[in-house]
Amino acid sequence: MSDFSVEATRLTKYFGDYKAVDHVSLAVPAGCIYGVLGPNGAGKTTSLRMTLGIIDPDEGMSRLLGGHKPQSVRSRIGYLPEERGLYPGMKAREAIAFMGALRGLDWSEGRRRAATFMTELGLERVIDTKIRKMSKGMAQMIQLIGSIVHAPDLIVLDEPFSGLDPVNQERLEMLVRRERDRGATILFSTHVMAHAERLCDRIAIIARSQRRFEGTVDEARALLPMQVRYTPRDQGDPAAIAANLPAGAERHDDAWHFTIEDSDVEPLLARITASGHGVAGLSISRPALHDAFVHIVRQVDASFDADAAGDAIEEASA
Amino acid sequence: MTPFIRNMFVVARRDFLAIVATPTFLLFLLAPLFMVGMALAGGMGASQLADSARGKGRIVAIADPADVEALRSADARLRAAFPGRDAPEALEFRIAGPDTPDPLAIAGEKGTDTYAVMSGPLENPRIVERNADGSSGRYLALLAGQVLRDRAAGAVAPVKPRFESLRHGGASIALQQSIGFGAVFVIFLLTLLLAGQTVSSLAEEKGNKVIEILAAAVPLESVFLGKLLGMLGVAVLFIAFWLAMAFGGGLVAATQIDPATIDAAGKAGKAATALASMPATGWPFFLGIGFLYFIMSFLLLGAVFLGVGAQAATVREIQMLSLPITIFQVGMFSLSTAAASAPGSGLARFAQIFPFSSPLAMAARAATDDAKAVHLLALGWQALWVALVIWISVRLFRAGVLSGGSGWKFWRRAKASTAVAAAAEAASSQPR
Repeated sequence: MSDFSVEATRLTKYFGDYKAVDHVSLAVPAGCIYGVLGPNGAGKTTSLRMTLGIIDPDEGMSRLLGGHKPQSVRSRIGYLPEERGLYPGMKAREAIAFMGALRGLDWSEGRRRAATFMTELGLERVIDTKIRKMSKGMAQMIQLIGSIVHAPDLIVLDEPFSGLDPVNQERLEMLVRRERDRGATILFSTHVMAHAERLCDRIAIIARSQRRFEGTVDEARALLPMQVRYTPRDQGDPAAIAANLPAGAERHDDAWHFTIEDSDVEPLLARITASGHGVAGLSISRPALHDAFVHIVRQVDASFDADAAGDAIEEASA
Repeated sequence: MTPFIRNMFVVARRDFLAIVATPTFLLFLLAPLFMVGMALAGGMGASQLADSARGKGRIVAIADPADVEALRSADARLRAAFPGRDAPEALEFRIAGPDTPDPLAIAGEKGTDTYAVMSGPLENPRIVERNADGSSGRYLALLAGQVLRDRAAGAVAPVKPRFESLRHGGASIALQQSIGFGAVFVIFLLTLLLAGQTVSSLAEEKGNKVIEILAAAVPLESVFLGKLLGMLGVAVLFIAFWLAMAFGGGLVAATQIDPATIDAAGKAGKAATALASMPATGWPFFLGIGFLYFIMSFLLLGAVFLGVGAQAATVREIQMLSLPITIFQVGMFSLSTAAASAPGSGLARFAQIFPFSSPLAMAARAATDDAKAVHLLALGWQALWVALVIWISVRLFRAGVLSGGSGWKFWRRAKASTAVAAAAEAASSQPR
């Protein structure tokens, strides 16, 4: 037994000549909430599908729940695909029981748990409603319940928050935390940073088919320098104030915005105190995950553009 | 129950219920009623026409008073050799005399069809007949000959035959072959009506995206097999329903037979003769193995259609596929009927071995050949092919449809990849 629920190593997938996923590795510790972040079309869904053994990778391999092949531990996995789908003619309770039955859960037990889950999530009035009569968001909640109704050890959710209203997003976050507390490992993909920031113990960022970052949310945020917002009490001479601040400080109305390295915090405070301009407002904070994400993705895109330009020049000279 | 089988049944149960629990299914179930109704109406009309025509038909012998009795008794004896439909028309006598009308005039009398008229001395009668190749005139000549022979031989003691029916192994080969042909036809018809639906059965999952849930949760093999099984369940329900209807209808008909249906009773007698002429393996075995072969035929063709249909991207493609599929089925049918009409030939052997015609051809073989062990072999062989077809379908499906991307079809993949390459080239040449 290993301590990892997911060990996917160097997964690679080609669609024709296009490399959709390029040597992506994922290691998800057991019992944590793990986010796979990335822009649209980065290869998140394909990576998850290969991890779960729905499609075969061209290279690399995936082991789940302590070194098992994905196919051999199907009944211990729950999966919400990116493209939601339910049989429209089925009643909600039956649909959930059906998904449970596919994973080896008894039909009657599935129906019972379906009712419990739906009541908890405020869906009790549609328990016996057919899927086709439901709103998209409701159907998505049904499918989500269906993918965890058999109490799986590993839950994989592909873009679970998209299409949900804020109330349901909140409920989903609650559900994810509760499943984690039950002992399950949750792996989900998203491009909405707020959820990842609130939920995830660790994240991986995939951009342009490759994994560009792996670590905790704080580690990701630490990739960027601290952001400082300083408002002097004495607005006197802007040039004199700017002289005390690092180069590149910008003035918006009364406040100055700039970034500093971690080691520069105390010297900065000393300089500001000594300058005599006073402090009407001062905030020193880590950038949000959002900024770190955009920073990483931009860097990757920039290097790609450079590569493309380089190739073009080579081609032209040849 | 292994997880594989259990998953299969979960899928099969869903499919079965989804199909059966709809109002459309009732229409599907009752569809043959229209056909039966039409056939009944048409058949009744036609048989009434035929009956009225036959009832009024006659043959006429213009004979000397001395010959009438001899002719009458000869007719009684000979007529016994032509039961049922083949019986000659009713014989009427006219006494020959100076005021007897001309045979042609008798033949032209209104009110009834006259098929033949015999006149003149028995040694060389004049026979006027309606159809030159009909049997009525010849029957009259036979009668005349019989009377003459009786007279020449004097009183011959009547033959007292002792009839014994041919038992086991003695059944008519022609009848057995037609039983075999019937089996091929019934299995073909049922498969044609029912198995073709499997072609679109994965379209639902692809349309509503459930396929990914299924693919993630259970092996695709059990999805495919489960779907096939669900459809088979529908087919068996359909057949059971109609068998029950036929049985019930038969019972009702049996209790309500009235004297007016003597003709029908005659037909039933004939059917009973056919029934008595067993297929070589005996009726219970034949019917049992026939049902098993229907299942195999359904599974085999269904698996092929399911696999092909799984590759189709749109409803339109599925519609287009239905023609080649029907032609394929008809091809298997012709092969098997050819085999059924020539048991033991090389063609028959081929049809029995070729997996997709095997169930049909082997069912025909059960009618003419009394070997039973070979059917076990055939069932195993066919089951192997069902598994093989499913396996290949799943591989193609995994490699193609599930891997997504633009060029998921194997015959389009080459084109798509060249398109991608061209696009990449165009993109890289832009910065210049």
